[in-house]
This record gives sequence, C-alpha cells and structure tokens, in this order.
Amino acid sequence: MLNQSRRDFLKTSTLITSATLGLNSKSKAASKYVLSEDRMGVLVDTTVCIGCRKCEWACKVAHNLPTEPIDTYDDRSVFKEKRRPNDKALTVVNEYPNDFTDKFPIDVKVQCMHCDKPACLSACIVGAFSKHENGAVFWDSTKCIGCRYCMVACPFQIPAFEFEKALKPDIKKCDFCYKDRTFKGKLPACVEICPVEAITYGRREDLIKAAREKIKMYPNRYVNRIFGEYEVGGTSWLYLASKDFEKLDFPKLGKDPAPGVSEAIQHGIFAYFVPPVALYALLGGIMWINKNKKSKEQEQDK
Amino acid sequence: MENMKPKMMQKNFFTPTVIGLTILAINGLIFLLIRFVWGIGAVTNLDNQHPWGIWIGIDVAAGVALAAGGFTTAALGHIMHKDQYHSIIRPALLTAMLGYTFVALSVMIDLGRYYYIWHPLIMWNGSSVLFEVGMCVMIYVMVLYIEFLPIVTERFIGRVNLPGFLKKLNKPVDKFLRVLDRGLEKTMFVFIIAGVVLSCLHQSSLGTLMVIAGPKMHPLWQTPVLPLLFLLSAISVGFPMVIMESVITSKSFGLKPETNILADLSNIIAPLLGVYLAFKIGDMVIRQTFTYLTEINTSSVMFTLELLIGIIIPLRLFLSNEIKKSPTGMAIASFLVVLGVLMNRINNFLVAYNPPYAQHSYFPSIGEISVTIGFVALEILLFRFFVINFPIVSVPVYSTPQTKFAIRGGSK
Amino acid sequence: MKKILLIVIIISFQLLAQNKINVNHKYQELKCSTCHTCEIPTKEKPCLIDCPRDKMITIEHKAEEGPVVLTIDRLKKQTDIYKPVIFTHRLHAEMSDMAGGCKMCHHYNPPGKVIGCKECHEIDRNRIDISKPDLKGAYHQQCMNCHRQWSGKVECLSCHDLNANQKKSEKQKEIDATKKVHKKVEPPKIIKFETPKSSSKFVEFLHEEHFNLFSIECQKCHSNESCNKCHYKFKPVPASQKSTLEKHTKCSNCHDTKSNCTMCHSNNAKNAFNHLERTGFDINKFHSKLTCQRCHVEKGKFIGLNSDCSTCHGIWTKDNFKHSLVGLQLDETHLEFDCTECHQNKKFEKPTCKNCHDDKEFPKDKPGKLVK
Repeated sequence: MLNQSRRDFLKTSTLITSATLGLNSKSKAASKYVLSEDRMGVLVDTTVCIGCRKCEWACKVAHNLPTEPIDTYDDRSVFKEKRRPNDKALTVVNEYPNDFTDKFPIDVKVQCMHCDKPACLSACIVGAFSKHENGAVFWDSTKCIGCRYCMVACPFQIPAFEFEKALKPDIKKCDFCYKDRTFKGKLPACVEICPVEAITYGRREDLIKAAREKIKMYPNRYVNRIFGEYEVGGTSWLYLASKDFEKLDFPKLGKDPAPGVSEAIQHGIFAYFVPPVALYALLGGIMWINKNKKSKEQEQDK
Repeated sequence: MENMKPKMMQKNFFTPTVIGLTILAINGLIFLLIRFVWGIGAVTNLDNQHPWGIWIGIDVAAGVALAAGGFTTAALGHIMHKDQYHSIIRPALLTAMLGYTFVALSVMIDLGRYYYIWHPLIMWNGSSVLFEVGMCVMIYVMVLYIEFLPIVTERFIGRVNLPGFLKKLNKPVDKFLRVLDRGLEKTMFVFIIAGVVLSCLHQSSLGTLMVIAGPKMHPLWQTPVLPLLFLLSAISVGFPMVIMESVITSKSFGLKPETNILADLSNIIAPLLGVYLAFKIGDMVIRQTFTYLTEINTSSVMFTLELLIGIIIPLRLFLSNEIKKSPTGMAIASFLVVLGVLMNRINNFLVAYNPPYAQHSYFPSIGEISVTIGFVALEILLFRFFVINFPIVSVPVYSTPQTKFAIRGGSK
Repeated sequence: MKKILLIVIIISFQLLAQNKINVNHKYQELKCSTCHTCEIPTKEKPCLIDCPRDKMITIEHKAEEGPVVLTIDRLKKQTDIYKPVIFTHRLHAEMSDMAGGCKMCHHYNPPGKVIGCKECHEIDRNRIDISKPDLKGAYHQQCMNCHRQWSGKVECLSCHDLNANQKKSEKQKEIDATKKVHKKVEPPKIIKFETPKSSSKFVEFLHEEHFNLFSIECQKCHSNESCNKCHYKFKPVPASQKSTLEKHTKCSNCHDTKSNCTMCHSNNAKNAFNHLERTGFDINKFHSKLTCQRCHVEKGKFIGLNSDCSTCHGIWTKDNFKHSLVGLQLDETHLEFDCTECHQNKKFEKPTCKNCHDDKEFPKDKPGKLVK
C-alpha cells in the first residue's frame, strides 16, 4: 500500500503547496474592507429620547416588516419588559428608571452598532457581511447559508434569525438603511422620523466632536463617556447617557476589536500557509525515514 | 506473532439491539422531516440568544473530536510505521469516515439554508474560523473516502457481480477497480499525510471557533489557547475511542479482544492525557480562573466534572497495570475519556456560552435530542453494515497468504 | 483733507453711537464682537449677530407682545402623518412668565427682535453642522421637555392632528373657543417658613421686597420650575431628605447661610428691610427714590459700597453743589465758604459753626433759610 517512490512524493507535495498558496492569496483579498475617514454614524442621546417608539415604526415600514398602526406605538406598557431586536423588529426602545427624577425615564434605542471591526464580518463563513464606506455593516442575502455563527460572534448579540422559516430564512439586523437610503445620501428611516432628534446622523468624527462638546457644556447631564467611541475598536453608532452604560444594559466591552484574538490565532496558524505546509513536510519526512528504516530491517532479516 | 487479516464478519445484520437502534433512528428522522418542512424553530429550542444547540455542540463539535481515532491511528500506523497497529487502522478509519459523514450531515441540517452548503467553496472568507473548519472538514471527508477506497476495491476486485443487463459492465468495472487500486497504492501516502494535517488544523480550529464569542463565554473555558486544548483533547481521545469500539465490536461479533494491541495503545494514552491535563491546569493557573471554582454553579460543577471524570480518573486508570490486562477495564477507562471530551465540547459550546440578554437558558428540545440520538443510532447501524459487508475487522489468519487478495479465494 | 473729514465723521458717529448705547451695556462685561459682526457698529448699521449664543442679559418681553396663536408649519410636507401644530404662543408665554420667561424657549434673547427657532435651527436634518438640533428636533425638544414632565405622556396626538383627518380639528376648535389664558398669579408678599428647630423656629421670607426693592428677577430663584411648581403630578422630594446645603441653595446665592443663621432664622416677625438698620447708611433722606442698581451697579451684589458721598458723586465744591436741594438755601455770606469750612467729615452730616461763631449751633441756628 505504501511503496511510493521519493519522486512521487516530491511531485505531489509541490502540487499541493502551490494549490494551497493559491487559496491563501485569494482568501486574503476577501478579508479586506474599506474603513473610510468620512464614514457616517449616528449619535444617540438617551437624555433627549422620549421613548415615543416612532423609530420602531419607521424601521418596520422601511424594511417591509409587518407592523401595527402607528398610534398603537403610544402604548407605554411595552416598557414593562426589556425587549431585544429580533427578526420582526430590527430596532427597539427600552426604558430604564432615572435615579434623579422619575419625570424623565431613560429611553435607550437598541439596534446593530455597525462596528468598525465587525465580529460578524470576520466570522461569517461565506463573507456575507460587508463594511461599507459609509459605515454600514451590510448582510448579503445571496451569500448567507444560515449557519448563525455571526450570532455567536456578535458582542452586542444583535443578529437575529428567522427560526420559523423552512426555506430561505434570513439573518435580520439593522442594515443602516444602506440600500434604499444611506447609500444614496439619505437619512436612515429612524433618524428621519425621530421627533426630538435624539438620534443624529452625521460623519462619525463630527458626531464625536459634538458629543464631547455636549459633555463639556452639560457635565451634570452626562456621564463622561461616549459609548461606541472605543468599544470593540469603535462603532458607527455612538451613545450618550446620564447613567452608567452598564446599568442601561450595555455590554461591558474592552477596546480591542471583537474578532482580534481569533483572527490573530487564525492568521498565526495560516501565516502564508507556512505552518500547515511545514507540518505536511515534517510528517512526510518522518514517514519516509520510518519506511526506510523498516525496509532496511526487512532486508537484514532476509 | 500471529498474523492478522481484515475479514468480513459472517453474521446476521438484525439482532434485538439493532431493531432498537433502528427505531431510534426512525424517530430521529421523523423529527428531521419536521425540521425540513416547518423550519428549525419548529423542532429546536434555539432562539436569537442561543443560535447554536446540541446539533452543533454534540453532533458536530463532539462528533469531530470523537472521530479523531482516524487520524491518530493513521499517524501511528502509517507515519510512525508501527506495523503492529495495522489491524486497528481500518475500524478507526471506518469510524472516522462515518463520523465525519454525520458531522457533515449535522452541519447541513443545522444550516438555515442547507441547500447553499456549497457556498463556502466559491465564497471565501479567509478570516473566518468557520470557513477554515468547513473547508478542512470538507476536504478531510474526501480524503477519508479516498483512504477507504482500497477497502472497497479489495472487496470487489474479481467479484463484481452487477445484476441484470448491467452484467455486461462487470469486466470493465473490474478493470477500473484494478486500475484505481494500483493508482491509489502509489499515491495513498499523500492522502494519509494530508489527512493528519487537515485533522490537526480543524480539530484545533474548532476551538478557535468559540474564541470570537469573547466575554460571552465563561472564563473557565474562554482562553486564547482554546485551539491547543481542542487539539490535545482530540489527540488524547482518538485511541480511547478505538479501544472502546474494538472491545464492543469483539463482544458483538464474538471475537477474542486484541488485548495485547489494546494494552500497547493504552500505554500511549496516559502521556497524551497527561499533557492535555497539564495544559488545561496550566492555563487555569496562568489566567487565575480557579477563583471561579470556589462558587458553586453549573459552570464550576461542569468544569470540575469534566476535569475529574474525563481526565484525572482515566489518567489514573491508564497508569495502572491491572486495567491494561482486562479489555473491559480498558473499555471503561476509555469510555471515561470519551465522556470527558464529549462533556468538554458540550461545555465549550453550550454550558460556557452565556449570552447577554438571554430570557431563559438553553436546554435541548425532545426534537433535538431525538435527532442527535437518531444520528448516533444510524452511525452504529452503518458501522455494523460495513463491518459485515466489507473487510474491516481483522481476525487471526494462521496460514500465511501468498497474494494480496487471497482472502476471497479461500473463503468462497 | 478728505481723510480728515472722514475720520471726523467716523469719530462723531462713534460718539453719537456711544451716547445712545443701551443702558444695560455698561453693566455687561461684553466684547463688542459678541453681538456685532463689524468693528464699528453704528445706529444705522448695528450689524448685529442674530443669535450670539452667549450668556448675557436677555431682554424680557411681555407675553402680550408676542402672537396669540401660531401655526408651526415650516416643516409641512405632503407626506406628513400629522398636521402642523397650532401653538398657543400667548398661553405658553404667560406660563413662561411664571418660570423662566421668554428664554425658556428663546434661549439667547439679545436686544433687538425676538429670534424664532427657525433662524438658527436648520430645516434639513441631513446637514453638515450637527452641533445643534435641526428645526424639527428643536421644536420637539422644547415642547417635550415640559410636556413630558407635565403628563409623562409623549403621544403625538396630544398636540398634532392626523393629516388624514380633513375636518377642522378638535384642537383648533378648542383653541378658537376658549382663548384661554392663565389665571394671573399674585406673588405673595411674605412667605413664612416653619422649621423643625426648637429655637429660631421661623424664617420670614420677604418675597415682595426681593423682587420689588432688590429687583431680583423671578427666574433667578424660580428656574426650572415650570408648571410642576404648582400643579405637581409627581411627588416633590420632601425637605427632610435634603441636606442642609441643598435646602439653602436659593438663599446662599446672595446670603451667607453658613455662619450667620440669625439673620433669617428668628422667633419673631421680621421688620421690613431698613437700609439704615442693616448698613448704617440712611437712604431715606435723599436716596429713597432710587433703584438699588443705581448705586449697587454690579448685578446681584449689594455689598461693599463706601458710604462717603464722593464715592458716587465725585468731588463737591461750592461751585458745583446746589445747596438748596437739601432743603436749606444758604445766605449770601455762607455761599462763599468752601464746603469743608462747615462740613468737616466726608459724609456731609451735621455742620459745625465753631470755626467762626462761638455762640451758634446747628440746627438751632441756621446759615440761611429753609426751603421746601
């Protein structure tokens, strides 16, 4: 079974090496994405938000999701429980008590944060996610195979899956209204409808500047932190709040990009395919040596 | 030393156990049907906070680990050229082949869009760990099939007997098989080494899979050396799996267990387990996660159980000479290692995964459990089928055969 | 020659402009560039910045000066879900009068015309300068800030009508019918506080004096109170839960509340404010009709003035002082003397006659005749 010649061995191993190197060069290209200086973002000022939930309605209309009539959104009893975005609502508003005055409860809009270094993008097996020049993290329905690894990877636990669908279930998450709006220079649906402009759309840099200015002007109104400025390497959506972000159910995250460690390991193991090829060569060498030893022993036995 | 030759088992396929397994398999397939008609949500307890359940945690992650016998025995038998182990290579290969086939099937049923399973072949994402695992598993399944081909050619060369009008094709098919056999013989080493390399890659990368979950994973398990731990545990579970399956096969077909070979194998297990334990404890000490063991909750209990049942107790057992004399003893110790790795994979993928905003914790539904058990039952049935119909299990042959295909002349 | 003429004209203009300057300017530590875009503003071309966005004295207008009802339709679009709001400006202005005044909404209200929201807040939300909210946001933020406190509700329908509704809206009818204005709130004269202390139990707060006599603006104390001050729907925090410091914040802005308690806390009723009693300087004679600011020019500070006449009036001499104003017409002999001959202290109090006369004494003998 194993009486191959040395020439065979070399021939086939070079073939494999070149094939794998080819694979490497292509996969590298796929992992690159644009991170523009002028990328847009949204600043959510939770001290301004009044919890009218018009953004929820506008989002559903913009994404052709079924929705109740707009006047039903005045019902504030939904705030009794904390909700999460899912396949039927890409954004939701939750309400938290204000420690200083119960006249102004704190309302927090939740949706995809559109990370600068998205974990979903790094994780996706088929590269169905892309970070666009305007900051949007966009999911491509034509590629997705429904493995749900993006949901495991996302540090904000945002992507949702249509578990009820047997055919063509989608990953649902805020898409920054990329295709119909922001790509064409228009505002996202939620930003457009917000009556109090608690959510401001603009260049991410300008938003950070404006947020800093607000904190400086009203130090008693805000905690001195812009959530999303540095979290997991920065996000396109930024938040201001009057209370510790962790108490408003924001996840406690470091400054390192979410896919950092796993990509480091991955690129370490596959650094220009040297480690696998080296392992291949090593095992081949051991196999060859052992075989020679064996055949010599056999010859001696004879 | 007596000579061993793989032989087809002369046994009836059906026994009471087999009928029981068939029922379990059919039960699983029924739930599977529901999944395909009404979607994943109809059968599973998965939700947006728990995207992965036991179909990934057990069927895929543990499945891959427990099929590690294939590459560890190949490395031992072919690469290290320890010829005495050749008799266990074929059963291990069959286990791996079936195991990986079912891993692929499990992935497919868990995919929301299973009909797009081929997408990763043309849509590449180099930074995705899952992509790498997927590609490696896909290629490795192919490699396993190729490695299994000689067994098929051995079974059929000179015995091709197609029914009805296909009879005319008997001769060309036979010729083709002989050409294939000769070609495979020359190039097999390529696939064997590839198999080992691919296994090392994706066994470790399965660990990297959960690294990206970051703080969502319990610190007892979340560590940058997760891939190394996965690889070490896969290597150390390979031989116990072979021992267990060899002992059970022997019992089932009324053969004498190969106590000597298995004892030799057992000698290798202890150091492998030792290394795995050292890394696991070392990692715990360096990251100072042992503080989490002082509080009692699901995570700490499961971690302790995994460490105790899966590594420490079997390590002690494999160090004792008494155990190595008894096939049952070795089977029990091996079972503990297998259980330990199974627990480790479940822990890593399900227990340790504490997503934020979860309204309730995940426990598999009856449907999920049924499908998982059904798949295991089906695997055992297929194993039995192959063992009966192909020369897999080696039995002692006292007359030295002259030709490679002597077995078919003699027995017919 | 032309140049000189030009300079003369400019200077004279400048002088003219300076002469006509608003009284308030003097008391504000303002740079010209805060309000004026050009270097030399004139009456004809004041080149004022619409909204200086700087803290300065705002001009308070009366509620009646503003429009009664406004339709806020600057942002009106065909696709709108809701109709424009019919805003009862007068009513809201009256309510603001009881709290922060116009600047409750018109944040910076410099001298000149009252600036509407649309002057500064952009109509298009998709804009480059995001430092201030757009017009829609500005409107709603202003409204919701109070309305949320008032009812805790944020329904759009409490102000808007649905666009689909073609009929004359209920809201409009309501506004047409009632023309409701807020009942006049009479400011109390004295507010009596009872403290839980055993001695010096009472604090009598002379409310009227504070705004009438000391001209303290209402908003100075009544800031951020809005409707809830009187119509509270939420329980106010009980005083017992506040710290001593918190309880006294409003007073301690002007008074020393840390070391001197008896100034306000006492067991008996307080007398009305008496300048002589409090400061030793009698203002009843000649200064009684002056506002406090006339002398205490630094806003909000009522201490630290020297009681010497020259502090305010400069150097008086026999030539520039019309003595008949004090009620005594000096006779011809005495008119010749320097002031200091008789008034030997700087306060120009009781004169002495001893320098010339041994037997005369004021006020029994007078150096002239009394006039009224």
